[in-house]
Amino acid sequence: MLPIVKYLWLIPALPLLAAGLAALLKKERRASAATLAIGSMSISFLLALAAFLPTLSHGEHGVFRECFNFTWFEFADNTFQSASTVQLGWVLDPLTAMMLVMVTFVGLLIFIYSVGYMAHDENFTRFFCFLALFAAAMLGIVIANSLLLLFISWELVGLASYLLIGFWYHKPSAAAAAKKAFITTRVGDMGFLLGMLWLYSKTGTLLFYDGGNGCLEQSALIKLVAETTMCGMAISTAISILIFCGAAGKSGQVPLHVWLPDAMEGPTPVSALIHAATMVAAGVFLMARIYPLLSASADPATISTGLKVVAWVGSITAVFAACIAVAQNDIKRILAYSTVSQLGYMMLGLGVGGVAVGMFHLITHAFFKALLFLGSGSVIHGCHEEQDIRKMGGLRILMPITFATYAIGMLALCGFPLLFSGFWSKDEILASAHHWQISQIPFYLGVIGAFLTAFYMTRQMFYVFFGSPTVSPAAVADTKAKHSHNPHSSHSHEPATSIHESPPVMTMPLVILAVFAVLLGLIGTPAWPWFHGYLAGHSPKVDLGKLAEDAGLMLVSAVVVFTAMGLSWLVYSKVTLQKSREVDPLEKAQPFFWRLLANKFYIDELYEVTIIRLNKAFSVLSDWLDRTFWTGVVTMISHLTVGLSWLSRKIDEDLVNGGFDHGCDGLRESSRNLSKAQNGQTQFYFRVLGIAFVALVLALIWRAK
Amino acid sequence: MHLEWLRLLAPETIVVVTALIVLMADLTLFRQKPITFRAAVAGMIATLGCLIAIFWLEELSVSQKLGMLSLSPLTQMIKQAILALTIFTALISFSAKFTRHIGEYFALLLVATVGLLFLISSENLLMIFVSLELLSLSLYAMVAFNKASLASSEAALKYFLFGGMAAAFTLYGISLIYGLTGSLELPEIATKLSAQTATPALFLALVMTLIGFAFKLAAAPFHLWAPDAYQGAPTQIASFIASGSKIGSFFVLARILAVGFPQNTGSAAFCSWTSGWAPILALLAVISMLLGNIVAIMQSSVKRLLAYSAIAHGGYALLAFFGTGTRAMSALMFYVITYAITVLGAFAVVAMVENGSNREQMRDFAGLSRRAPVLSACMAVFMLSLAGIPPLAGFFGKFYVFTVALSGPQNLGLLWLVIVAISASAISLYYYLQVLKQIYVADVPAHPAPLDTNVIARGAIVVLAAAVVLMGCLPGPTLEKLATAMAKSIF
Repeated sequence: MLPIVKYLWLIPALPLLAAGLAALLKKERRASAATLAIGSMSISFLLALAAFLPTLSHGEHGVFRECFNFTWFEFADNTFQSASTVQLGWVLDPLTAMMLVMVTFVGLLIFIYSVGYMAHDENFTRFFCFLALFAAAMLGIVIANSLLLLFISWELVGLASYLLIGFWYHKPSAAAAAKKAFITTRVGDMGFLLGMLWLYSKTGTLLFYDGGNGCLEQSALIKLVAETTMCGMAISTAISILIFCGAAGKSGQVPLHVWLPDAMEGPTPVSALIHAATMVAAGVFLMARIYPLLSASADPATISTGLKVVAWVGSITAVFAACIAVAQNDIKRILAYSTVSQLGYMMLGLGVGGVAVGMFHLITHAFFKALLFLGSGSVIHGCHEEQDIRKMGGLRILMPITFATYAIGMLALCGFPLLFSGFWSKDEILASAHHWQISQIPFYLGVIGAFLTAFYMTRQMFYVFFGSPTVSPAAVADTKAKHSHNPHSSHSHEPATSIHESPPVMTMPLVILAVFAVLLGLIGTPAWPWFHGYLAGHSPKVDLGKLAEDAGLMLVSAVVVFTAMGLSWLVYSKVTLQKSREVDPLEKAQPFFWRLLANKFYIDELYEVTIIRLNKAFSVLSDWLDRTFWTGVVTMISHLTVGLSWLSRKIDEDLVNGGFDHGCDGLRESSRNLSKAQNGQTQFYFRVLGIAFVALVLALIWRAK
Repeated sequence: MHLEWLRLLAPETIVVVTALIVLMADLTLFRQKPITFRAAVAGMIATLGCLIAIFWLEELSVSQKLGMLSLSPLTQMIKQAILALTIFTALISFSAKFTRHIGEYFALLLVATVGLLFLISSENLLMIFVSLELLSLSLYAMVAFNKASLASSEAALKYFLFGGMAAAFTLYGISLIYGLTGSLELPEIATKLSAQTATPALFLALVMTLIGFAFKLAAAPFHLWAPDAYQGAPTQIASFIASGSKIGSFFVLARILAVGFPQNTGSAAFCSWTSGWAPILALLAVISMLLGNIVAIMQSSVKRLLAYSAIAHGGYALLAFFGTGTRAMSALMFYVITYAITVLGAFAVVAMVENGSNREQMRDFAGLSRRAPVLSACMAVFMLSLAGIPPLAGFFGKFYVFTVALSGPQNLGLLWLVIVAISASAISLYYYLQVLKQIYVADVPAHPAPLDTNVIARGAIVVLAAAVVLMGCLPGPTLEKLATAMAKSIF
């Protein structure tokens, strides 16, 4: 075993240690906290690189895979005859290595960026403690070789996310968003937990890979596929769909997407790190991790139900979220819905094209979405916490670096042909969807989604960076009023009217991320699909002919993107020049649809009137039951107990004590009487002797047959 | 040949010679000396003689038939125990104030011991009877030793009358057995009886023979002499009757029944009685346990209380007869030996308190813990051991006996007997604690009578208390010794 595999645990352990130490630091030790977090993340990044290198060479069976397992505890169990064990462990394979590098690298950049972004926040130390905790948990998910360890880290990630969304907990909206995120993901996690328990009860192990005994390996899969549950569904499918519930919650798939846009209440680096690049991708990663289980079916030729579910949910999410994004005005909310939409793409890619397709988009998206979020953070920072795109404009001159990098991110997200990574990864998803045997609808949904993405991103560009460069004084006053209760917001800033470029500590990460947003596409082009080869365990060949095969589809997607961008230009280039930008041209044209989209299809309202109302009704009912019925029962029981204790006291005092006293009196009485028999008269003694003798002899003779 | 016999019988011979030496020395050399000095000298000589006998016995580990006697490592061990108890009786008699006839007193004690030693060796009914009479006659005389006390004489007379009557029964029983079998040797009787069917004459003989031993054991309803004799007799003598004499009687009874009448056990199992000696013993045991414990509750005299306690303990010990094999025998002997040590200690404390007078009522013990803490602590040990409180010797003795009774051939048929025994045991705690309550809780009376302060006697009491604690905490060595002795014996 390679030493790096044995010490893989250090990668999550270091940030965890940093988090623990940072938690002990005083509020004023800002530099120490940042140093701890960034330092641990840097070492983790180096370790991740060290772990990445061996995976580049292929193992005997194609994919390089080594795991380190250990027994956590044992318990007696009737189901498996012998003592059952719960094992934990970690695994190093291409999937893990790639994610490790991505998470540590993007994480490191965002940590550095945060130093600038959070510079004026008084809870700077706490922020870095939480960030490090999050990174530790996320890395734990990535290295886990046990579904249980993954689940533990998964929940820790959920906790860190909750803490960071609610970081500005004095804002009621942030506190509410944190609660919403936590509860909504918990709904999905319930399914995850059930699936995990079911899996354990069926296979007796939660290890993914264990030298042939793991739950993702052949013997376990055959067993799981062979058994069917209700509706003729294989157990493997049922379990993977349950686990998908967890993934859908974390990755914001319809209908559990509602928490993700609200999560933008957190600080922007958090949005970038957690709610765009890494944590939300954990759901996709989980699906990729359990892909053998997900895709297992009795007949290898057919596509498993699990994959179909993932593909459909993904494609619907992709379009659904993209529609909503069109009608949003908050810069971060647009990006949030875009994230939901892109996560849908990843799921779609995973469902129709396999691990490599989904994961490639995950990686490219992580970089350009982190870039976009950090860029938006830079914009918000520059505009003094203003987030409404209608109140911005002309920033391309005032914030040139931000503008350039943001444009690169935007083009990557739109899938601008050839140059940008997003194009290649998205094109691959569309190609896979096009070749899907089951249905063409996901493909068309994907294309529509791509069109909408290009449209709303162009719209956002126009609003933010083009047009008149000033923010109206009224808007600034409004902003100040809005944040007046927020001590960290603007008191230490320069005068509100001067919009400025962000400091280098913030722009540097933007530049680095921009570079990757462009270059990453090159590792997964059809001509040289290195990424697929890496994940699948074989060496790719350069084949330009492949490029030509998919040329038709690429053309279609390029046309779609250009059309959308052009259309958006037509609509918004004039609007941005006007003074009054309050009313969107599309709103004028289709007020009904606009309202529908602006209100996110009224999903929150729907939940409000259905689930939440039901829940509230149930609470009222429970409350009523508690106050009347159960209280009655309890009171009755208490009266009964009092009655019983009275009875037992009576029994104790009168019967037991009385009986005992009576018995003792009897004993004394008989003692007294018997003592009298001892009268000292020898004659009497002899009489007793004689009688006893006769009685004994008679007794013996009587009983002798 | 005769030298060999002399060697084997040397312990008995030594004790007899010692008795003569004590008598002669006291009557000739020390006649004019003060009583305490004479008592000390006589006691020392007696102790020395017994010690020599004990060490001689240690050397004899033969299993051999010797005319009417039968020697084995087991009998040697029991004899050692009896000699040890005699020594302790002698030690607590150092400060005896009830008589001026010191030489006669110690000589009689030694003669009674000789009777016991022969009793233990005998396997012949006639020999057993003769030894028993030797023992009994010595004890009658000793009970009457306090000539100044009317009670002592009365007790002696009652003891003698009752004992004589019981002896008559036994002798008649023996003659009937001889008539039925033509033998007085126990093994021969067994072989003869195994060829016969049980007849009423045999039952008659059995009951008659048993009455003599029931009298010696003070098993109810043949106990009536005991409270009077214990109370009236000088306390040192009472202690010997209750301890050494008990061991011998239990051992010989067990021997007679196990060797002589193994076919006539019968059954005392619940609802399925069959005739034999077992139901007789079961009846005696139940009556003894209940009567002894219940009547003890009302006693105000500590010696009388101990007498009834002795009756009850005889009942417990009889339970061991229902087990089989060496386990039952070792449980019986462990129980009887620990009981003998404990009761000897208890009587010794009483002797210290009454100090030559008759003040041995409960109230005379009031506040003893403040006057003599060590003595009080020893008395607490003895009382709690008699009550069967762990970890004292009495608890383990009782425990083994009850276990043995339940593991006999009738399995749980004797559970009823054990239940009675345990309930009776619970009752007994009351009166033992009454004594301790007087000692530890009650106030010291205004003018308490002076205590005996003899150092040797007090030392003996402490040794006895230590033995009780030790045998309770570590019963292993004693049991092991019993087991090895038993394994080497043809019992």
